[in-house]
Order: sequence, then C-alpha cells, then structure tokens
Amino acid sequence: MGFLEIKDLKVHFPIRAGLFNRVVGHVKAVDGVSFTIEEGKTYGLVGESGSGKTTTGRAIIGLNDVTSGSITYEGKSALGKNKSILNTHKDVQMIFQDPYSSLNPKKRVLDIIAEPLRNYENLSKQEVRRRVEELLDKVGLSPESIFKYPHEFSGGQRQRIGVARAIALKPKLIIADEPVSALDVSVQAQVLNFMQDLQKELNLTYLFIGHDLGVIKHLCDNIAIMYKGRYVEQGTKADIFNNPQHIYTKRLIAAIPDIEPANRAKQLKYRQEVQAEYEHASDEYFDNEGLAYGLQPISDTHLVALPEKG
Amino acid sequence: MIPQMILLSILIFIVAQMMPGDALTGIIDPNIDPAAIEAQREALGLNNPWHIQYIDWVNATLHGDLGQSFRFKMPVTELVGQRLVNTVWLGLVTLIFTYLIAVPLGITSGRYNDTWLDQGITTYTYIGFAIPLFIFGLVMLWVFGFKLSWFPTNGSVAPGTEPGTMAFVLSKIKHLLLPALSMALIATVSTVQYLRSEIIDTKQKDFIVTARAKGASEQRVYNRHILRNSLLPIAAFFGFELTGLIGGTVFIETIFNYPGMGLLFIDSITQRDYSVVTSVVLLFGIASILGALLSDIILSIVDPRIRIK
Amino acid sequence: MEMRNENIDIPKPIKSPSTIKIIWRELVRDKLALVSLIFLVLITAFVYGIALFLDKSEIVTVDLFAINEPPGGEFILGTDYGGRDIFGQLIIGTRNSLSVAILVTLMTGVIGVVYGLVSGYIGGTVDNIMMRILDFFLILPFLMIVIVFVAIVPKYTVFSFSLIMTAFLWMGIARMIRSKALQEKELDYAQASRTLGSSNLKVMFRQVLPNISSLIIVTMTLNLAANIGLESGLSFLGFGFPESTPSLGTLLGYARNPQTLEFRWWIWVPAAVLILVLMLSVNNVGQALKRATDARQRRG
Repeated sequence: MGFLEIKDLKVHFPIRAGLFNRVVGHVKAVDGVSFTIEEGKTYGLVGESGSGKTTTGRAIIGLNDVTSGSITYEGKSALGKNKSILNTHKDVQMIFQDPYSSLNPKKRVLDIIAEPLRNYENLSKQEVRRRVEELLDKVGLSPESIFKYPHEFSGGQRQRIGVARAIALKPKLIIADEPVSALDVSVQAQVLNFMQDLQKELNLTYLFIGHDLGVIKHLCDNIAIMYKGRYVEQGTKADIFNNPQHIYTKRLIAAIPDIEPANRAKQLKYRQEVQAEYEHASDEYFDNEGLAYGLQPISDTHLVALPEKG
Repeated sequence: MIPQMILLSILIFIVAQMMPGDALTGIIDPNIDPAAIEAQREALGLNNPWHIQYIDWVNATLHGDLGQSFRFKMPVTELVGQRLVNTVWLGLVTLIFTYLIAVPLGITSGRYNDTWLDQGITTYTYIGFAIPLFIFGLVMLWVFGFKLSWFPTNGSVAPGTEPGTMAFVLSKIKHLLLPALSMALIATVSTVQYLRSEIIDTKQKDFIVTARAKGASEQRVYNRHILRNSLLPIAAFFGFELTGLIGGTVFIETIFNYPGMGLLFIDSITQRDYSVVTSVVLLFGIASILGALLSDIILSIVDPRIRIK
Repeated sequence: MEMRNENIDIPKPIKSPSTIKIIWRELVRDKLALVSLIFLVLITAFVYGIALFLDKSEIVTVDLFAINEPPGGEFILGTDYGGRDIFGQLIIGTRNSLSVAILVTLMTGVIGVVYGLVSGYIGGTVDNIMMRILDFFLILPFLMIVIVFVAIVPKYTVFSFSLIMTAFLWMGIARMIRSKALQEKELDYAQASRTLGSSNLKVMFRQVLPNISSLIIVTMTLNLAANIGLESGLSFLGFGFPESTPSLGTLLGYARNPQTLEFRWWIWVPAAVLILVLMLSVNNVGQALKRATDARQRRG
C-alpha cells in the first residue's frame, strides 16, 4: 500500500465570459486521475503541455483547488472543507520548474531556505542558521552563500537552492515539476544525478513531471502517460518502454531521438509503422470527444486506456 | 452605474443632513413663533425618520425640485439652470482648445521624436504636468488680463450689453477665451504625453514596418496606419476629460470670477447656502458617473478586443 | 560522459547592488534629479530648522502700521494686508504644506498598499467587491467632496484636514498595487512560499510586498508632488488650513483679491514660485526613481 492515494482526481477551471462574468464552461485540466504513491520509489508523469500533468502535481500539493475526487494521505483524507489541501505541506514538497522565478529575488538565501523551518519548527536564530548551512552543504553549495541574493547564482545553483528548501523539512514526497527544463543542457544531468543521490540518502519519494520521456526513463521506476487530463497508460519502466500498448505512448516513444546511426533505418521503420497505425486505428484508442478511455489492467502493474471489451 | 448613483445620492444626503440648518433656515423670518416653525417642520416632513426623508428628497430631486436658495431667494433649480449654461460653454470651449492643442503637439512630438521640436514640447508637458492649475490660472490672469489688458478680468459678459445682440455674443466669447485657454493648456498635457508615447510605440510595430516595406508613402503611413491606431484611444479618454474639467472649473471660475457652477459652489459654501451646495455636488457627481460611463462606451466601440458581443 | 557530483560551477562573486544603491546611482547620474534632491533636502532642513526660532504668533499677528509694504526695508519680502511678514509666512507655510503633504502621502500609501494587496492577492469575490467600492470613491468629484467635508466638520484642525484628504485620495495607489499583486501572486516564488507552509498574510506581506517596494516608493514620491499641489489648491480656495496657520496656498489665496493680484505681486508670486519649484523637484526625483526601477527590471 502506498502512503499517498489519489482517487478519481478532477480539477476543472471555470471559463468566465460575458457581461456578468458568468461561468460559461469548464476547462477539464485533470479529469479523473487515480494513482498510488509508495515510499522510496520514483514516479514519472509524462505528457505534452496542456495535458494536465502540472495541474495534477499542483493539486496534490494544494496549489490548485480540487474539483472532486479524493487524496488520502496515510489513510486520512488530506482534503479540507473547500477541497483544498491541508496538513500535508510538511511531508509533501515541490521543486519548481523555473529556478529564476521560484526564488524570491528580494530575499537572501538564508531567508529562502529558512522559510519552511520558521513556519514549522521552533528554532532559535543560531539553530536555523546551522540547519541552513547543513542544507547548503548537502546540496553542494558553500555555506558562505547564505547572505547572497538569488541573482548572484547560476541557474543550476539556484535549482540546488530550491532543492535545499524543499528538503528542509525532511519530506517524504517531492514533486518535481520539470526541474531541469529551464536549465542549460550541460547542467541538467548534474542536477538530476544529484537529486538521485539525495533520494538514496534521505529515502525520498519523487514524482517527476515532465515532457521528456528520455529524462523520465533515466530516472523513474514507474511511469504514467497523460493526455488531455486523463491517463492513457501507466506501468513500470519496462512495461512502458518494452511493451507500449496505447497508440499515444507508442508515438511518444517513437519520437525519442536515437543518436546511434546504425539504428537509423530501424528507427525510421518503427516510426512509419506507428504513424500508419495512428492514422487508421486512432478511433480504437480515443472516444468520440478525442479523450482517452478508462484504464484497463493488462498485467499486475500495467494499465492501459482501452475501450471496454464486449 | 445605477448602484453608483444610489450610493452617491446616499452620501450626499448624509452630508446634507450633517450640514447645519435645513430647508427652513433662511426662508423663515427669525421673529416667528418657534411653535409655528415646529408645525411647519412637521408639515414639510422634516421630523420624519431619515429613510422617509431620503426617499422624499430623491423623489423631489427626480422631479427637478432641488429646494430653495436662501441667498438668492429663488429655487435652486432655476439658479443652477442659469449658471450651468455658463459652465457648459466654458467646458466646451476648453475641450475644443484641449484637443486643438493636443493633437498637433502630440503628433509632432511623436513623429519627430528627439528633435529640438520634440524636446520643446516635452519640456512644456513636463512643466505643465507639475504646475497646479490655479497657479497657472492666476499667472495668466495677471499677465494677459491685468498687465497686458488683452482680456476682461472678471464675469462672463460685459455689464450693460443687451442679450441677443452681436455685442453680447462677442463679449461672452471674449470672457470665455482666457479661462478656457488657461484650463486647456494644463488639461492637454496628459493627452499630448499619451499621444506622443503611443505614436512612438506604434511606429516601431511590425505592421508599420510592413506598410513601409510595401512602399506606402510616409504621409500615408502616418495618416492611414499610425494615427488611426493612436488617436482612437484618445477618444476614449474623452469621458475622463469631462470628469477632470469639474475640478478645474472650481479653480478657474473662482480665479476669473466667472459666474458658473464652480463659483456658485464656492460662494454658496462660504455663505452657508447649503441647499445649493448639495445640488451642485449632486449634479457634478452625476456628471462624473456619466463621464466614466461615456468613456467605457467609447472604449468598447473603439477597441475591438473588449467589444461586447 | 558526465561526472557525478562534480564540483558545481564555482560561484562567481558578482557584487549585487542593493535597490537603494541602484536608486542612489541613478539619482547621482541624473543631474537634474540630483539638484532637485539637494534643493529639497536643503529647503526642508531650512524651513523646519528656522521655524523653530521664528516667533509664529508674531508673524500671524496683525500689524496695522505695516499694511501691504513692498519688499525691502524692514520686511525682506514685504507684508500682506494685515501687516504680516511675507517671508515668515513663507517659511511657516512651506513647513505646514510639506508636513500635510507628507502626512497625507504616508496615510494614503499605507491604506492603498494594504487595500490593494489584500484585494489583488485574495482575488475572486472579495476583490470584486473591494474594486466596486474603490470605483465608487474614484468617481466622486474629489475637490467638491473634500471642500464640503472641510466646511461641515466640527472642530476643524490640520489633522482632520489631512484625514479628509486621505479619505478621498487612497484609490490611485490601491489600484496600482492591486494590479501588481495580481501578477505577483501567480509567480512561482509566491506559490512556492505557500507550499512551504506560509500563511496568506505571510505571503502577502513578507514575500510579495518586498517585491513591489520600488513601485510603492515611486508612486508615493509622485503622489507627494501631487499632494503639495492639492493642499495648496484647497488652501487657495480657503478650504485648507485656517488663516492662523499659513500655508503656501493661503498666501496665493490673497491673490483672489484683484487688487492684490494686480498691484501687490510680492504677496503671492514668491509662494507661487515656491510651490512650483517644490512640485517640480519632487517630480524630478520621482521620475528618476521611476527610471531607476525600470532599468533594474530590464536588467533582471
């Protein structure tokens, strides 16, 4: 059993228009998503922009209000009265996509990293400072940086500050929303590897949100593919990459570039196959609104969105 | 707009209640027996609870009854009617001057930006932005009214001219020019600044570059493309311009002793003629609301992006 | 291919200039603004300093033997219709005008910032209602309403005058702060702060507020100039300070008498020049601040 269970999560945003700002419709950003998160594992959530992957993450941490569905944390509902998240902030933390905007430009590193400590733990000034220095050391920054401002750091360093802030409260789950996509390619791997090292050290659970299957493949044990607010396929890394079932997943995998010239012909052939299947069989995978069907299990770990048999 | 009108009327009603005296003050001879006054008050409904008095007041106002002015011994409606004409003329001429000054200056400044001509105009707007209207008005009156004697220094028409004659009309215009010009020279500043930055912005946009690339003449680029885009927003400020005039008339009419609503307001409040004060504030309040509404309407006509379908 | 746990790029010690330093640098570079600032500091120090030694009651006492004296002689800048020393009135008037303008600017600033921040940050229905209220205040004919209140308030003092002005002047800054808060709250740093367990109040005042501080400083400086003008305008009409407390506007108010305007320029011209120079100077400083903060945004 996982410690965090999400059942039939829906996040709908109202569309307002007209003279009196009436609600004229809804954007179904997340439309019935269920999954379970177990301790110590790494999950990947993949989808194109607008697929609802970021909204899912933000709903779990409480930045977007949940329209319906349940989020259960250690057996207890984490949803408050008005469907916003309560009391999980200490154990669930987030790393933001853009290290340039996620750190308050007017605050010193000390104040940025100390913010969660000051909110949850009653520490003296010296203790806070010592903890911040420990955290900086852990993420590989020199303790002298505590009196600097964010703009004095490079993107990679800033993201490390973001990580230090996220692990300050020793959380169980860290939601990382495309943590490296705003960084130079040269430092992306650096930051990812360092996050993996931290995971082992602190027994963290990660939920990686991204659009890059290559990165997700490198990191995650479990992968879910999202399309237009719904899951289309969910399974272990092997399930998804060796035995993709849904046409959308197949197309994503076919699109991963391969730098080995020897495979070029094979790769091209695979792409053409997938394209052919997509062109004549896409009706079998999407309902008449163009949305994915409900998930059907095809093995213990592997779920695919297919029309119900019969 | 309707809620704003209601709120405004309530606010003014409360203010009117706070003012010393009531509808009877000033009408009644102080030697009359207090009991008779009390009876009169009762008959006029002045002892009713406030909400009934409020409804009575709104009712009377809607029927054009604004009460009596004790200073002029005449109905406020009539008094305001006389003064309003003068203020409307003053406002109209000011607006004409404002746009007559703003459009050429703004276009010149924007089209030939960073030339000495533009620098001159920018300096003017910079100072005009900082100088308070009443100081400018005083200086204008001092220089052109008293020192150079080009314009009359007070009133709205020369005494003794017969209404309806040509001399009367000319005298009216002569009395209008200096106050209107003073107000316009200050009021126009923000429009000039806006027009200038709008034109400078527009002329760097891609569609202007395209128009030039297609070989449109400079004249055509300005007349057909840039001005159309830059002048329309100015139209939308028209309503706010009206609102801005209201404060201006109070100063300008006081300085030039021009018998309009602004001067009436100041005189009435100094002389404690409160029924007039209440009416003037109410009228100007409604004018402000209508001005803002007008701006919204023009804006929605002019700007296709916010047009209501 | 890549190395694990390699040393991250060594932090380059870019000295980050603080906001105050940037503003200061911009002021010094802008000669006009610098001169304005020096002038403002000097005149403020002068009027507040010398007002300590001036005998205020002597200045406002009517002296019938020295009515309307031209400048020179016993009185440097002459006297008014009551034989009162113009120079002394200028000093005290400048001090009073500045005091009220500063007080009103601070009060409208505090109200506007809190109102705008709450409205913009909370959003939704609360924002809607708060903005409707603001729109109503905005639409009132400011000058007339203030004059009416000045006329009917019992026990009228300089402080109640400031309160009346504040009551009808807080909307501009509130609206500006609100639209800025609307943008800022969507930025990641504010969102991050919420995930770290900070309450809405903390996010508003500890995270968002520092990020809009430069906007607040610029707006308040420009407001100060406008308030000097408004105060003297109201005093000019006779609805500002009582005559026993001279303001720059009171001196100008004497010019409403055509005799004074035409023949006794020494009574009103110095006050007019002083108001103009004060407003221009504050404006210059404000515009320089505006440029300073804009440049910073471009660089950031």
